[in-house]
Amino acid sequence: MRKWYLSFATLMIVVVLLAACAPAAEEPTEEPAEPFMVGQVTDVGGIDDKSFNATAWSGMEAAAQELGVEVAYLESQQQTDYAVNLQQFVDEGYNMVVTVGFLITDDTLAFAQQYPEVYFAGIDQYYGEEVPANLMGLGFNTDEAAFMAGYLAAGMTQTGVVGTFGGIEIPPVTIFMVAYAAGVDYYNAQHGTDVQVLGLDLFVGNFESTDDGRRAAEDLIAEGADIIMPVAGPVGLGTAAAIAENPGTMLIGVDTDWCISAEEYCSVTLTSVMKRMDNTVPLAIEMAMNGTFEGGYLNGTLDNEGVSLAPFHEFDDDISDELKAELDTIREGIIAGTIDTGW
Amino acid sequence: MSANFVERWFSQVSERTGVAPRRAAIYGLVFLGVSLLIFALFATSSQAGQVTTFVLNPSGETEAFPVPSLAFPTSAALYLFVLVCAFVGGWQLARGFKRINLVLGGILALFVLAFLAWAARDNSLNLTGLLGSALLRAVPIALAGLSGVLCERSGVVNIAIEGIMLTGAFFSALMGSLAANIWGWSLWPSLVFGLAGGLLAGALLGLLLAVLSVRFKIDQIIAGTAINILSMGITSFLSARILTEFQRLNNPGIFPRFSVPGLASIPIIGPIFFEQNLLVYALFVLLFVIHIMLFYTRWGLRTRAVGEHPRAADTLGIDVYKNRYINVMLGGMMAGLGGAFLILGSVGRFDEMMTAGKGFIGLAAMVFGKWMPFGTFGAALIFGFADALQTKLAILEVPIPSQFLLMAPYIVTMVILAGVVGEAKPPAADGQPYEKQ
Repeated sequence: MRKWYLSFATLMIVVVLLAACAPAAEEPTEEPAEPFMVGQVTDVGGIDDKSFNATAWSGMEAAAQELGVEVAYLESQQQTDYAVNLQQFVDEGYNMVVTVGFLITDDTLAFAQQYPEVYFAGIDQYYGEEVPANLMGLGFNTDEAAFMAGYLAAGMTQTGVVGTFGGIEIPPVTIFMVAYAAGVDYYNAQHGTDVQVLGLDLFVGNFESTDDGRRAAEDLIAEGADIIMPVAGPVGLGTAAAIAENPGTMLIGVDTDWCISAEEYCSVTLTSVMKRMDNTVPLAIEMAMNGTFEGGYLNGTLDNEGVSLAPFHEFDDDISDELKAELDTIREGIIAGTIDTGW
Repeated sequence: MSANFVERWFSQVSERTGVAPRRAAIYGLVFLGVSLLIFALFATSSQAGQVTTFVLNPSGETEAFPVPSLAFPTSAALYLFVLVCAFVGGWQLARGFKRINLVLGGILALFVLAFLAWAARDNSLNLTGLLGSALLRAVPIALAGLSGVLCERSGVVNIAIEGIMLTGAFFSALMGSLAANIWGWSLWPSLVFGLAGGLLAGALLGLLLAVLSVRFKIDQIIAGTAINILSMGITSFLSARILTEFQRLNNPGIFPRFSVPGLASIPIIGPIFFEQNLLVYALFVLLFVIHIMLFYTRWGLRTRAVGEHPRAADTLGIDVYKNRYINVMLGGMMAGLGGAFLILGSVGRFDEMMTAGKGFIGLAAMVFGKWMPFGTFGAALIFGFADALQTKLAILEVPIPSQFLLMAPYIVTMVILAGVVGEAKPPAADGQPYEKQ
């Protein structure tokens, strides 16, 4: 037992040293004033999760490049680490702390209330109506990008049937599905087609069982769907396995670019509906630096590129230029508010 | 008509059929009730001219002979079902059926069919796809249930099936990927290596459970729960540390489907049972093997003796501990195989907590199937069917909230457990540590 503690303690010391050393090495000479320091606290997924934490970190690195801030991260191994890591950044005099994931909501709010002089931003977190002036929740209008995905799917389907399903029937899930269906309807209205959406009522009941994701996909395919957007976290990777085994079917990923986060399925991934914290995080940091930071929420939209469709990767050549042009028009329409995403 | 008359009437029915009078009466009423339900819920709300289409060809590549889709007028079919159910109910009250459970099964099947016909009115539904999906959903549940059968027949309650499955899944993914992507083995050897990894992990956790519950006589529920928690922690930690960082270690490949020559071309049956991957066939074989071993071999007799009355078995010179060790390890391997199926037979990668309760449902299937291999498989099929049906109904946009649809498998369980299976009796010494004298 003692050995475990010893190695764990050593590990923590190394992490702390690394976190402390890294910023010091690249201290700019032309700025005698104290640099603006921003720290990121990951959730238990770790910084290399190829998902939320990694995307947020690339936003931090972008901010370091463009805004000249100093960035560092602390990984949380378990939920009890959240407060410890937050405390460490605060104690070291960081000006701003970004926390990733809705699990850190309570800790972030508590720290924001306790340290009003430090800015806090939380990704995928909701604190209710009253938000402290130094706290910003970074959310996503995923419906805007999901609408585009629906339009694209309707334009690409060979069978005239596209599918989707969710993990559990909650708003962060249904927002994708509703807007996806609205996108398909919009395509039908524009082109006089009759593309059907299956699975708007279909929920597998969890966010874990990849096997359920595969079975749901097979059932959708059996009813004729050839493009499926699973909105169920990792469960969608089971869907990807079914898609890969059924020639002619395609997948639409959610949250991150699945061509990168699940590269083995890149050849069947038409596109992904992405939450781009790599774009919203620098925005929030910039606001904190120039004093326009306000307590409340900053939602990623198509306009500020906080949400977007992923590149088409291997399907780029299959998508006609007309369809791409139409997608651009739709994007502008959503930004301008002339197109309703159905959410 | 006095109560006396009713009583006499049903005792006559009972004499003729061998079904208890009360039961005979209740079943008759149930059949009539189903008839009424189909009439009220479905038949009245379907209009003349609506047509239901049941597609009988599976989607995707298949060797089965193509068969035409089954299209029929919805309301005519529904009224036919109403009449059939009413007739069966009336017959039951008047004369009585001998094989009452079979009739009940038929009536329930009719009800489900009526539901589907109604839900798919002016629409189509792939019936073969539905049944195939039911089977595939049943496979991991059945393997988990078989694990329970092996353990509990020898008197050890294995509540750790869920955790063992999860660990088996993790190691089959890791070992399979190691072989395929690091050592560069070809598909089949690396899949078999992954399978071996899952089986080995299952056997080792089974051994751990056996040591805890047989050697140290710890309460078996506690020991099993501890193993579950251990498995969840270890696999989540290792997957976050190893699999997410090196994605090549989480891509073992999937057993390809292969068709059994001849049998696969039978319409409907062929694509459901004989166009599957190796692990599904393995389940079919294991069902027979375990059934025969349990009931027709010396080992099976000893196992059942140890599970029913270990002291008596001990007096006759059977090594109770050894028997329990072997059985729990075999059971662990079965759960490991269930985990391996989820990876190598289904999704081809490991994700945290991916078993999502299938091990526990397997335990329920075991109880439901009265600790018999084929009974367990039948129960697993019913769970799988309820699950598949739920998905189809959601796709058909039946106006029932998703939460209620997701409850369907569990409601089915409760109804069948309470109504049909009757008292399920575990092995007498199930869950009790054996103390040698």
